[in-house]
Amino acid sequence: MAQYIEQLPYEIGRPARTWRSRAGVLGAFVAVGLVAYILELTEGMGTTGLRNIGPMGGATWGLYITFVIYFVGTSFAGISVAALVRLFNIKALEPITRTAELLTVVTLMLAAMAIAADLGNPVRGILNLLIYARPQSPFFGTFTLVISGYLFASSVYLYLEMRRDAAICAGTPSKYQKLYRWLAAGYSDTPAERRRHRKAGLWLAVAIAPLLVTAHSTLGFVFGLQVGRPGWHSALQAPAFVILAGVSGVGLLAVMAWLFRNSLHERRLGDDVFGWLRNILGALLLIYLYFWVVDLVTALYQGDRAELTVTRAVLVGPYAWIYWASAACLIIPMLIIIVQKAKRSTAVAPLVVAGAMVQFAAIGKRFLIVVPSQTYGTLLPYGAGSYIPSWSEFAIAVGLIALGALMIGAYARVFPIIPLEDPRGSED
Amino acid sequence: MSTKTLTWLLIVGGFALQAISYFFFGAPIGKPTGVQFSQPRVPFVGAFFILGVGMVFTAALVYEIRGGREDRGD
Repeated sequence: MAQYIEQLPYEIGRPARTWRSRAGVLGAFVAVGLVAYILELTEGMGTTGLRNIGPMGGATWGLYITFVIYFVGTSFAGISVAALVRLFNIKALEPITRTAELLTVVTLMLAAMAIAADLGNPVRGILNLLIYARPQSPFFGTFTLVISGYLFASSVYLYLEMRRDAAICAGTPSKYQKLYRWLAAGYSDTPAERRRHRKAGLWLAVAIAPLLVTAHSTLGFVFGLQVGRPGWHSALQAPAFVILAGVSGVGLLAVMAWLFRNSLHERRLGDDVFGWLRNILGALLLIYLYFWVVDLVTALYQGDRAELTVTRAVLVGPYAWIYWASAACLIIPMLIIIVQKAKRSTAVAPLVVAGAMVQFAAIGKRFLIVVPSQTYGTLLPYGAGSYIPSWSEFAIAVGLIALGALMIGAYARVFPIIPLEDPRGSED
Repeated sequence: MSTKTLTWLLIVGGFALQAISYFFFGAPIGKPTGVQFSQPRVPFVGAFFILGVGMVFTAALVYEIRGGREDRGD
């Protein structure tokens, strides 16, 4: 039977003034984003900075698609970490598995919303996608398989991992007792149920692993397979998307683990958790920096005229500040991790700084993948274009980030964000 | 129907639906020589494919929740 607890953990259900004020601020950002979105729905895409490529000298994909890739990428690390913990039995990372799974579900929802914002008229877009989509197309893989299939799979994974804690919390009188009972769905933590859960979790992890690699590679193929768009056509796009997804996701996970460690005073979020995250982030950063250099050298060494035009615009042209800022936000975290490893330092603050910095790098790099190839990469004789996101695009992007933080915060106020400790260990 | 049978039905059915949607319901695969290469042969093929993915992962829910009830004798 489930081991019931006397009081719900992590201040769940108890009043928290700091949470309310933080939720209020986040809610204000969400409201501004919503106003901007309503304006876009009623006034049309003219409220954005998006314009046609070529004759109108603009970009049809901009900040929204940048954030779609960023959110989908961030989701990658969440479920990867959770699946790796399950597949390789990495005990040290168990306390952050739920945060990782939740991060995946929330960021995939945000990605779906960012797509809806980019579509302009989401109902028409989604309906046409369902009627006319070709499963063979990378677009289908990205915007349908990732958002619906991957989101569903991740939600199932998160839910099944929540049942045991829901059963434990349901034994404690609280205002959420009915919710916990419903979530537990009869789970009572018997040895047979544990065995069944372990088996289901293992097979889910096995099934999700190829799905997530396929999903993120397909996102890279959307760009990498376009032969007529200089700057996009590259065999490295798919693997680089997967690796940068890991970098941004693991970095964000480190930041979130640090936030929860400080706010919940959870001793299980110790140095070993951050040690693992540091090693994973360091390894992924090294691989990504290698990809970046290889891609750059290839473009500079044997790129054709159009390829060189895009590369010049990125390196020394109007996008140079984003490029070099993104490079700094990848190299400095790498140096931080190298210095920490050399000094055998277990300090968490530098890792959190590195984790936060790579978020800016990930967003910047995605912007550089999406935009310059449209404004500077036309093969037809059009002049250079430009794209500057409008205030409404910024408002919607910031609103989505705030919504994500609000959803994760609200979840942590209702359900244990760190899996409850099992006094019996892992024996049956 | 036992949980084990239902779980396998969902997994096999889900993968089969994905394969059928991809190879037979979607637009023909090959060098495009006409408009038919851009149109799916069956409308809503995307939804069928996603339904297939959903069925495979629903199998985990059935296996764990329905199976758990069977274990408890509910």
